[in-house]
Amino acid sequence: MGKRSLYLETKDPIIKFALVEKVLDLARANSLWPLGFGLACCAIEMMSTAMARFDIDRFGAGLFRATPRQADLMIVSGTVTKKMAPTLVTLYEQMPSPKWVIAMGNCAISGGPFVFEGQYNVVEGVDLLVPVDVYIPGCPPRPEGLLEGLMKLEEKITGTRRFPVPQAKW
Amino acid sequence: MIEQVINIVGMANIRVIIGLTGILTLITVSTLLLTWAERKVAGHMQRRIAAKEVGPFGLLQPIADAIKLIGKELLTPADVEKPLYFLGPILIFVPVLVSFVVIPFDARLQVMDVNVGILVILAFSSLSVLSILISGWGSNNKYSLIGAVRSVAQNIAYEIPLLLSVLAVVFMSNSLSMNDIVEAQKGLWYVFLQPIAFIIFFIACVAETNRTPFDLPEGESELVAGFHTEYSGMRFALFFLAEYTNIVIVSAVATTLFLGGYNGPILPGIVWFFLKTYFLVFVIMWFRWTFPRVRFDQLLNFSWKILMPLSFLNLIATGALLKLL
Amino acid sequence: MLEDIKSEITDINVAEASYPERGYHLAIEARKENLLRVIKFFDDKGFYLEDLCCVDYADYLELVYFFNNHTELFRIKTTIKLTPDKPSAPTISNIYTMAHWYEREIHEFFGVYFENHPNLTYLFLHDGIDSYPLRKNRVPVSEDDKRLLSFPIPHEEEDTFSVNLGPQHPSTHGVLRVILKLDGEYILSADPVLGYLHRMHEKMAENRSYAQFLPNPARMDYLASLNFNLAHVAAVERLCAIAVPERAQYVRTITCELNRIASHIFWLGAFLGDLGGLTPFLYGFDDRENILDILEGITGSRLTYCYFRFGGLYNDVDDNFMDATRAFVKRMWKRLPMYEKLVTKNVIFINRVEDVGILERDKVRRFGCSGPVIRGTGMPFDMRKVEPYAAYGDMDFEIPVGENGDILDRYMVRMREIETSLRIISAALEKLPAGPFNAEKVPKKLKPPKGDAYHVVESPRGQLGVYIVSDESDTPYRMRWRVPSYSNLMTFPHLAQGTLIADAIAILGSLDLIIPEIDR
Repeated sequence: MGKRSLYLETKDPIIKFALVEKVLDLARANSLWPLGFGLACCAIEMMSTAMARFDIDRFGAGLFRATPRQADLMIVSGTVTKKMAPTLVTLYEQMPSPKWVIAMGNCAISGGPFVFEGQYNVVEGVDLLVPVDVYIPGCPPRPEGLLEGLMKLEEKITGTRRFPVPQAKW
Repeated sequence: MIEQVINIVGMANIRVIIGLTGILTLITVSTLLLTWAERKVAGHMQRRIAAKEVGPFGLLQPIADAIKLIGKELLTPADVEKPLYFLGPILIFVPVLVSFVVIPFDARLQVMDVNVGILVILAFSSLSVLSILISGWGSNNKYSLIGAVRSVAQNIAYEIPLLLSVLAVVFMSNSLSMNDIVEAQKGLWYVFLQPIAFIIFFIACVAETNRTPFDLPEGESELVAGFHTEYSGMRFALFFLAEYTNIVIVSAVATTLFLGGYNGPILPGIVWFFLKTYFLVFVIMWFRWTFPRVRFDQLLNFSWKILMPLSFLNLIATGALLKLL
Repeated sequence: MLEDIKSEITDINVAEASYPERGYHLAIEARKENLLRVIKFFDDKGFYLEDLCCVDYADYLELVYFFNNHTELFRIKTTIKLTPDKPSAPTISNIYTMAHWYEREIHEFFGVYFENHPNLTYLFLHDGIDSYPLRKNRVPVSEDDKRLLSFPIPHEEEDTFSVNLGPQHPSTHGVLRVILKLDGEYILSADPVLGYLHRMHEKMAENRSYAQFLPNPARMDYLASLNFNLAHVAAVERLCAIAVPERAQYVRTITCELNRIASHIFWLGAFLGDLGGLTPFLYGFDDRENILDILEGITGSRLTYCYFRFGGLYNDVDDNFMDATRAFVKRMWKRLPMYEKLVTKNVIFINRVEDVGILERDKVRRFGCSGPVIRGTGMPFDMRKVEPYAAYGDMDFEIPVGENGDILDRYMVRMREIETSLRIISAALEKLPAGPFNAEKVPKKLKPPKGDAYHVVESPRGQLGVYIVSDESDTPYRMRWRVPSYSNLMTFPHLAQGTLIADAIAILGSLDLIIPEIDR
């Protein structure tokens, strides 16, 4: 995809205390500040999740920051085109670590419904550009889907799930 | 042993040390609680419950935020002016700490009763704009610069009505010391005698702290994030906390000058003081979630063409009435 | 009209077309040499340019110009033929400002060179594209065009500086990038950069059958997906002469109006969010979630609906839908005074939007604006009244108009449109006839007869047009979407000049743009 981007590795700390790591992980999972990065239709569902009915602010993730320097979570919601790809990589690199990426919607996972023979403008999946932690399928996924994705990300960070897995009733 | 320490150090200095420790504790706890309160107030005004899952009633949310911000990578962008960039967030806390020293929390609960107390507060509150300008310039970013420059113009414009309305209160109480001003309100609070001055003072305070409807320096939908665009992690946390500390200090000053400080019937003085201060803090938060933003030239017009003449007339009227009565 | 044209300009082919079949009244075949005279003739008569597109037939390229009138409906299709290698045509951007960007788009998608065009650079496509996408055979990009591909860096002068607004910014329009040249806080020039969400809908239409393309229009404008769905389905029905039953037309009307209300509520929240007041966004979403629940009950989706099919609907509406819609209408009438009190009567809001961003009425024709932008200037031009489709012909409603063309007028027009929509929904629910909801005998593999058709629909943002060219196979030969936000966005550089940044943001919000429909 054009020039190779440099990923600066952060060094591991010299002294590791298991308890400190656990507390830090718990704090990070409960206070994930997303970057306001809505691209297309999935952005509307992301906004719906931040609204009164589904309220992502309950879990601490409600403070959408405008600048990547203050955000930890990048929710890629919508199709990534070849014109937008360099901007996305720049934003990812501007975010300080630890950072996570959620690929929301079919377009961010693998190009979505816009992949056809002879297509010339859609990047088939945002994981070709940045490392992705959680994939949320749907076109667009329901706000409950985004909340479930957030729960999965918290589980990935801390190791335990906040709510039990919903049981199917049929 | 204790007498020896007191003899060496001096009673007044011990009082200052204990007082400063108390103030630092107060600022830390209060600011953390205010970040929680802001989200709760915003949530309930928007018909949702914010901050519920993290601890009972979401009370551990600010602690989670603080620990997360401490654990973030300290990123310094490549072309910033290093001394200015590092100094900005630190400098923004200095005026607040000094201002708290002269606020009377109760009849004899004041770190230092300077006899020009209100002058100290006004002098140091002008310093906060310096730190915003330093951060905006040092960030080497066009948005930060626009935000910082807007903030300078806004702060300078609103300081004059602030000063003039404070002068009206000083005329009435005949003293610049904060304790004397509170003592003079034992009978009737000044808000009933000087309503115009109170309104002008409150509006000017909201403008000085860069809160909506005057939050152009931080105009989220226009300028990415204004003067603190390039700050991440703990440095951003300092800006974030400084904003809330500023709100507390201006509410405390407004309480002292207009709402009677620690005066009040049955309950002890300090409880009244905190009730009044946090009521004004709540009103400032209420403004944020109700009003849209004012445009920049309308903001400056409002200050120079409306607030300043009004406060000046108020001052003259106060002086004339005091002379006649 | 026919006689006027024939008497004025001689060497063109003029033919009358049947409006119900084709969607236009007159088809004129001009030539490159007399194109400018024909365009000037239409300009003198007061027509506006509705759409300008290009179709690649095997041995020639055809440029298609659609003209229409604000006062009386009379659509004229003018075509000129160009040679396939090195095609070139005269530009009409000095007569109709709207053609400026339309010609740039045709240039980058088809390789047509427009003589005397002021700025024929790339608009949508990215660096590294090496052919003209919408040509049927692969035609590589010519050497002259290769140098126009890389994006020019703005030239920095003394006392001014350039700032990027976007493509990532907290406003909720989407991925729009505007390059602002500032002198302090005043804007000297504003250039939008498009193409960050170009998802190749028009090329996909040529690769898919008519039924396979049904989900696509919803993704173009996700807030008004039912209106886009209706445009697509109605254009194909016009081409194939399928008669849609009455019940389906009424249900289409009701659901499109519900979608219009949802879109306007979202616009209200986003516009106020741009201005700094974040709370009405949440109050509005309360109502919007109500609408989404109603529509989810019959369509199955929350946002990108695909409910209409060729000849009718996917499934019938049930009593749940009718009761829920009636309850919603009753509830919404009670909620509207709350918005009045919170927003419309707020002094700070009125100071921000009154007398800002005034669009003069005589400029509207050159820009080809539509929707609340044109109704805000005082022209009562609404496709639902001018060219009734679905069941709008039976409905009796008023079109709200503004006076001056400033932001406050556009805001009031949209708020009044919510009220108009509520009245239309109530009336349509009363009149809903019983009967079939699908036309009979619509073939599964739809093969429309050879020809073209143009259908227009009023989306919440303005006039939406679909132009389909069919060659008797089961995939369209060319499907062109004329989207309202494209011409509305063209007024932005003109309106934003000389204003403050805060005003420019407010103007951008008031135009109600959805970028995926511009980028298609």
